Amino acid sequence: MSEADQELARDLGFLEAYTIGLGTMIGAGIFVLPSIAAKAAGPASMISFALGGVVSLLAALSLSELATGMPKAGGSYYYVNRALGPFFGSIVGWGMWAGLTFASAFYMLGFGQYLLPLLTPHVDFLASMSGLGKTVAALVMAALLTGVNYYGVKETGSLQNVIVITLVGLILGFLTLGLLSGPSIGEFNPEGWPAVAATVGTVYVTFIGFEVIATSAEEIKNPSRNLPLAMIASVVTPTILYVGVMFVSTGTIPLDVLAASEVPVKLAAEEILPGFASAIPFVSVPSSLLAAIGGTVMILGAVLATVSSANASILSAARVNFAMGRDEILIDWLNEVHDRFRTPYRAISVTGILTLVLIGIGVGVGTLAEVASFMYLVTYALVHVAVVVLRRANPDSYEPTFRIPSVLYPVVPILGGLACVGVLIQMSTRMVPYTLAVGGLSVTSPFQLTVVGGIGIVLVAFGVAWYYLYARDRAPSETLVGEAIAPAPATAADGDGTYRVVVPLANPASERDLLRLAAASARTHEDSEIVAINVIEVPDQTSLAQDLTFEEERVERQQELLEAARDIAADLDVGLRTRAIVGREAGSVVLDMIAEEDADQVVVGWAGPRGRREHVLGSTVDPIVSRASCDVTLVKRGERAGGDVLVLAGEGPYAPVAARRGTEYAAATDGTVTVCNVQPPGDGEESTATERGEELVEAVIEQAGIDDPDETRVVVDEDVKETLLSIAGEYETICVGATRSSALAQAMFGSLPERVAAETDRTVAVARGPEESPLSIGEAIARRLES
Amino acid sequence: MSVEHDPGERSLLAHVLLPVASEDDALATARALAPYDPDGVTVMHVVEKGEGVPDKTPVEQSEATAAAAYDAVREVFPEAEDHTAYRRDVVEAIFEAAEEIDASAIAFQTRGGNRLIQFLSGDTTLKLVSQADRPVITLPKDPGET
Repeated sequence: MSEADQELARDLGFLEAYTIGLGTMIGAGIFVLPSIAAKAAGPASMISFALGGVVSLLAALSLSELATGMPKAGGSYYYVNRALGPFFGSIVGWGMWAGLTFASAFYMLGFGQYLLPLLTPHVDFLASMSGLGKTVAALVMAALLTGVNYYGVKETGSLQNVIVITLVGLILGFLTLGLLSGPSIGEFNPEGWPAVAATVGTVYVTFIGFEVIATSAEEIKNPSRNLPLAMIASVVTPTILYVGVMFVSTGTIPLDVLAASEVPVKLAAEEILPGFASAIPFVSVPSSLLAAIGGTVMILGAVLATVSSANASILSAARVNFAMGRDEILIDWLNEVHDRFRTPYRAISVTGILTLVLIGIGVGVGTLAEVASFMYLVTYALVHVAVVVLRRANPDSYEPTFRIPSVLYPVVPILGGLACVGVLIQMSTRMVPYTLAVGGLSVTSPFQLTVVGGIGIVLVAFGVAWYYLYARDRAPSETLVGEAIAPAPATAADGDGTYRVVVPLANPASERDLLRLAAASARTHEDSEIVAINVIEVPDQTSLAQDLTFEEERVERQQELLEAARDIAADLDVGLRTRAIVGREAGSVVLDMIAEEDADQVVVGWAGPRGRREHVLGSTVDPIVSRASCDVTLVKRGERAGGDVLVLAGEGPYAPVAARRGTEYAAATDGTVTVCNVQPPGDGEESTATERGEELVEAVIEQAGIDDPDETRVVVDEDVKETLLSIAGEYETICVGATRSSALAQAMFGSLPERVAAETDRTVAVARGPEESPLSIGEAIARRLES
Repeated sequence: MSVEHDPGERSLLAHVLLPVASEDDALATARALAPYDPDGVTVMHVVEKGEGVPDKTPVEQSEATAAAAYDAVREVFPEAEDHTAYRRDVVEAIFEAAEEIDASAIAFQTRGGNRLIQFLSGDTTLKLVSQADRPVITLPKDPGET
C-alpha cells in the first residue's frame, strides 16, 4: 500500500484516541478495585494508584516512541518481537493475550457485581443466588460482546465519546460531592509500605488500557503529535480520578465495610448523597431516595465502564493474535477474516471463549486483575528494553517521529523497567520463609510465591515453551540486540569494502543463472560475498482455507530453494549467505535487506513484460528497481547466462554500467565482449552516422573503465530495431543500460535498445547504477504516488 | 481513463466496478462476470473503518485481504484496475468509487444469508440497489448452471 493509502486509513484524531484510551482505562478498575485495594493497603492504597500511574506514564513515553517509529498492528508485542527477537516476542505475545483475556474476565465479573444489585430488588429469585447471579450476568455479557465483535457490529465514535464523557462527569460529580461532604481518613497506612507496593500490582490492571492506543497506531492521524499526547493524557486523567475516588471512598465508608463490599463506589455514593438533601432548594427530598438515586447512577456508570473496557480488550487481543500470526509465532488459522463480516472471527471467538472459561471456573476477581497486571508489567518491562535496543541498533526502518526527550532518554526506560520489575517482585512474593521438605532433604526459601506469581510464571513459561516447541523453527529469528550492543563495529564492518551482491530468489529454475551472474560480479572484487534471500509473503497466506498445510509447504520450499543456492555457490566457489525472511511485501523486504546489508548490487530475476504471476517478485520488481540505493541488474533468462556478451551502447546514463556487467559476465564464463551501436542513416552521409556511433561506443568504454572489448560494432541501418534483434541473435547474453532511473520497471523499456532486449529470447541483463541523490529517490517516490 | 462520457452511446459493460470482499468472493464474482465480456473492469475493496473507534480488523490485515482479492480477480481479468477505499460506510464508498472512475455499472454477487445475518451486516445489497445513481448488475450465483 502506498503512503497515500496509509493516510486514508488514518481516521482517529486526538479526541478519538484519547477517548479510546480513557474508555478502556476508566473501566471496572475504578468501580471494583477500591474495595480490594482498601483491604490490602487501607487509605494508603491511593498511593498505590498514584505509583501505578507513574509506572504507566514511563511506559507510555517508551511506547509512544515505539508506536510512532513502527505504527503496526500488535502494539507492544510487535516492538518487542522486532527488537528482541521471537523468544521474547513469544513471551510478550502470549503474555498480552493472556493479560487481555484475564482483564476481560475481570471487567465482566465487575459488571456482574454491579448489575446484580440493580436487578435484585425487582427480581426475587436473583436475590437468593447472588454468587451465581453475578457469574451468569458476566457470562451473558461476555458472550454478547464477543458476538458484537464477531459480527462486526459497529458502535459509533460519538457513542463512545458520550460514554466516556458521561463516565468522567459521573466520577467528577462523585468526587466533588464526596469532597464537600468532608471525608475523614482514619489510620492512613495500616498495612505498611510493602503492602502499598504490592497493591500497585493489583491495581495496575486499570492502567493497561493505554496500550489500546498503541495497537491502533496505524489508524491515528498525525501520530507524531496525537499519539504521545493521547497516551499521556489517558494515563494522567484516570490516575487523578482514581486517587480521588480512593480518597473519598476510604474517607466516607469505614474500612472494613468498604473492604467487604463488591460495589464500593455505589456504597460511597449512597453514603454521600443524603448529606446533600437539605442543600436542594424548594423541594424536600427524602434522603433515602437520594441514596437510591446515587447508588443507581453509580451502578449505571459501572456497567457502561466495564462493558467498554472489555470490548476494547477483546479487540486488542485479536490484534495481538494477528501480529503473532504475521510473524509466524502463532498459527495463521486464527487470523482468517470472515467472508461476510470481515472480522478476524476466529481470534475473537477464541478470546471470547477463554474469557468465558475464566469467568466460569470461578477465578476470584482480585486474582484475575492481578494476573492481567502481571502480564502487562512483564510486557512493559520488555518494552523499555526494546526502546534502548532500537535506539542503539538504529535500523533504517526505525524512524520514530516522537522521541523521548533527550533529558529523559536513558532515565525513562531504565527507571520504567526497574519499576515494572520491582512491582512484579512485590506482587509475586511474600516475605514468609517457606520450607520445602522432600524426604530427609529440606530447602528453605526466604520467601513464598503468591498465587498470582505462580500463575504469572506458568504463563511466561508457557510462552518460552511455545517458542522452543513451535515458533523457533518457523519465525524468522531476527533480533537487534547484537547490533545494539556493538553498533559501531557493525557499521564499520559493512563499510569495509566488502562487495556484496544481494540476490532475491524465488524460482528454482532461474536460481542458478542469477547466482552465476551475481558470482561473476562478485569475483571481480577481492573481498566479496553473495547474500541469497527468499521472502515468503504474508498477504497470500492469510486467505486460503487450507493455509496450514500450504504454509508448511511454502516454508519447506523456501528451505529447499536456499539449500540449492548453497550448493550452487559451492559449485561456483563463491562466498554465499542465505536469509529466509517472512514479510508483507517482498519488494519492501528486499529494499530493507539491501539497506541492511549495505549491498553494492542487487540481481533481480524478471520473467518478461507479461509474466506477472509466476516470477519471484512479480510486481515486486517495481519498488526494487525504482528505489534500490545500489547497482541494480534486472535479469531476463535466456538459454545461457554469460558466454558471448553483447553490450548495447546507447545514450542513456547507465550504458557504462551495462558495459561493466557485460565484461564481468564474459570474464567469468570465458566468453567474448562486443560493444555495439546501431545508428539510423539520418539526413547526412552514412559516414557521419558511423562516426556518431563510434564516438558513442568509445565514450561508453571509457566511462565504464573496462579493458578494450574483443570487438566493437557500429551498424548503420534504417530499421534499427530489426537490426538490433538480428545482431542480438548472434550472442548469448545481452547487456543494456536502463535509460533513466525511472519509477516503474516498465518504463525501463522505453528506449529502443531496451525494447529489443525485452523481445529477444537471449539472456538479458538490464543494468542501472545506484540512485545517488536523495532528490531522485524522492522524485521516484513522488512519481510512484502519482501513478 | 479514456471512456466516452455519453450515456446514450455507452455500453453497459464499458467500465464495470466490481466491489469484492474476500479472495473467494472475488474469484466467484469475477467468474460470474466473465461470460459477459466487459470492456473494462475495476475491482475495489472497502477497508471498513471505525471512524472514531478502533477498527474490528487491523488495517494491515484488511489490506492483505484486498490484495489477495485483487489477485484473484486478475486471474480472470488480467487487465483489471484496482481501487481501495477506506470508509465506515461500505455502500457510500462504492458509490464514490463509481463516480471517481466513471463506472458504467456496478456489478456484484449477492451473498444471501438469513435475515438476522443481513440485518447484522446492514443489508448492503438493498442499499446498493436502491440508492445507486447508475446501473447495478446482480450477477447470478453460479454461471455454470443455467
